[in-house]
Amino acid sequence: MVAPHGVTGMLGEDGIHVDMQHLKSGEVNLGTSIMAINFKDGVILGADSRTTTGAYIANRVTDKLTQVHDTIWCCRSGSAADTQAVADIVSYHLNMYGVTNNEAPSTQVAASLFQELCYENKDALSAGIIIAGYDPRHGGQVYSIPLGGSLHKQSFAIGGSGSTYIYGYTDAHWREQMTEQEGIDFVRSALQEAIKWDGSSGGVIRLVVLTKKGAVRHLYLPDNGYTGPGVTN
Amino acid sequence: MPGFDFSNFNRNAALHARGVPLPKATSTGTTIVGCVYDNGVVIAADTRATSGPIVADKNCEKLHYIAPKIWCAGAGTAADTEFTTALISSNVELHSLSTGRDPRVITCMTMLKQHLFRYQGHIGAYLVVAGVDPTGVGLYTVHAHGSTDKLPYVTMGSGSLAAMSVFESMWQPDLDKEGAVTLCAEAIKAGIFNDLGSGSNVDVCVIEKDKPTNLMRNYEKPNERGLKERNYRFPRGTTAWLNQKIISKEDMKKYVTIETLSGDDNLAEKMEVDS
Amino acid sequence: MASMLDHSTGGQTVGYSFSQSAAAPVKQHGFYPYTDNGGSTLGITGSDFAILAGDTRSTSGYNINSRMVPKVFKIGGDEETGEGAHIILSVVGFAADGNALKERLDSVVKMYKYQHGKPMSVSACAQRLSTILYGKRFFPYYVTAILAGLDEEGKGALYSYDPVGSYEREQCRAAGAAASLIMPFLDNQVNFKNQYIPGSGEGHALQAKKAEPLPQDHVKQLVRDAFTSAVERHIEVGDHLQMLIATKDGIEEVFHPLKKD
Repeated sequence: MVAPHGVTGMLGEDGIHVDMQHLKSGEVNLGTSIMAINFKDGVILGADSRTTTGAYIANRVTDKLTQVHDTIWCCRSGSAADTQAVADIVSYHLNMYGVTNNEAPSTQVAASLFQELCYENKDALSAGIIIAGYDPRHGGQVYSIPLGGSLHKQSFAIGGSGSTYIYGYTDAHWREQMTEQEGIDFVRSALQEAIKWDGSSGGVIRLVVLTKKGAVRHLYLPDNGYTGPGVTN
Repeated sequence: MPGFDFSNFNRNAALHARGVPLPKATSTGTTIVGCVYDNGVVIAADTRATSGPIVADKNCEKLHYIAPKIWCAGAGTAADTEFTTALISSNVELHSLSTGRDPRVITCMTMLKQHLFRYQGHIGAYLVVAGVDPTGVGLYTVHAHGSTDKLPYVTMGSGSLAAMSVFESMWQPDLDKEGAVTLCAEAIKAGIFNDLGSGSNVDVCVIEKDKPTNLMRNYEKPNERGLKERNYRFPRGTTAWLNQKIISKEDMKKYVTIETLSGDDNLAEKMEVDS
Repeated sequence: MASMLDHSTGGQTVGYSFSQSAAAPVKQHGFYPYTDNGGSTLGITGSDFAILAGDTRSTSGYNINSRMVPKVFKIGGDEETGEGAHIILSVVGFAADGNALKERLDSVVKMYKYQHGKPMSVSACAQRLSTILYGKRFFPYYVTAILAGLDEEGKGALYSYDPVGSYEREQCRAAGAAASLIMPFLDNQVNFKNQYIPGSGEGHALQAKKAEPLPQDHVKQLVRDAFTSAVERHIEVGDHLQMLIATKDGIEEVFHPLKKD
């Protein structure tokens, strides 16, 4: 974007509210449906796979679930460039933390790193990130960092443009201490609903299950109504 | 001092505010594609460069060298694709020399995305990076803002929709080299004929494991110029002139030294001209 | 005179205002009724003929709407075949307006024949077209039109227009997207601009090459060369070349293929 001189392009009509959804023209957008939940033995992350530039689907099999440490992952929404850059930086710092302290970082450390970057650079970033991780001391944890750079610890989090359609659904069906299969079904059906109503979300559903046993990837295809194939590693 | 020179920024901003339009950059409103196959990867491009609705170059090269087995197809602002790939090529070679290892595609991709992200999209380079390295075959797209994608077949540029329609209807998971080259050429031709920003010829580059890279410049030429019906050579003396001054070589030697080169015509690269 | 305008500042001119400006500009829904469909046309006259030509590509942005949308029409002839027409019209710019303009001129020429019992002369039709264009002075037909046929003496006649009806009789004219590429070529090859007769004099005494009507075959070759060259350098020109040639025997239509990239 070529910003005209002396024009406050980011400010809204009242001069106070900032247009957070603003993207530089032609920027690749993750108009997304993402979520992460706690369950009995850990956490589950889920995301659709659509990346768009305007009306064009630039990638229909995107992987929006990004590993930043062994059992700390994140779901990315907003600008693809911004979220990839932030995740790369966090990943670098967590790996440095891991080797210097000879101990894996906690999910909270990861979430704090994400928050630092998102808050301090809020004027330059459009990134909505959900962090979920498993560490032996705290078990599974879910953190959400919406556009302004605030940090929220939650039992489950939803995000992206598609999430607006499933606030009711998730509230009505959420239960604490679900089993793994119940958790998978919950995330999958919620995302299926978000994809159905949100035009900017679509493609396949990707899941990552994080427990003390490590990370397990799942894949669900639209061909069979998002019923399989399931575990892919 | 390294990097960009911003010393004209304030002057240009003031001129722009007073209504002076920005100079038009040559953009490669382009079709570029890439496709992996069992033993390597193919990238291809059209050869039209435009400045607005005018064709600036009918046969330009959009396939750029990064390393012997890593090549890059560029769309967007011509100068940005040219300089960005040259810079990363240089850094990749230094990196390769310092590590004593062959360069990797993912290294190039990471260097490109970090460079482009730093400039927040102001460097208008849209790239397809492809190659083979010790880890296997690599194919990525890099957008100007710094986002990347990894896919088995990719398209970029103004003709990317036309080209992707070919891939989405004809791509198969078990392509051989010939199949991949043909498919890429078909995709480029879809861009050439259906997108006004793309045109002229098809360039293809095949990068295969354990084989030298094969750049096939003008692999297909589906748009040869038709013959002109009349001859437009003017008889000598058609152009009016009011004054002539002849400076002989002997006169010139008073001011400069003149050295006559041996007349081997094949030494210099020939300029392409229409008849 | 100025004091009539700046009543609030007591004759003093200031570069700022204390009056309350609107907090935010009111957002307006915009509708732009015009599109540029690209393409190019050209017309050349000879002693006993007139040629109008145009490519048949229709574009919007980087897309091709169609590879076969004619820009040159027979005016006042049969609805289907165009038979009986003796006037030709080319329109380039916004295709929808071009079509509307053609339809209007066509019915005007037909009504003239029904009411007067004789075909409309090209000069009368040219004046009428100008009136039609100026009639929409404040919501113009977004087109550059060229009208051609044979005048009362049987010589080739060609009239070129701007979108609001200013017109002029000329020997040749290029219009549309590639006009700036084709027109200098026509100036040089039809009116022999910048061409002098070799050895006809020294300095200012050198004789300029005189323009004279060209034979039909020669003109057709120039038209084809103009378009094959325009196709090379303009992205909105291509697909097919359509030529209408008006002679005393009627109107001949010819198509030639052009490059499709």
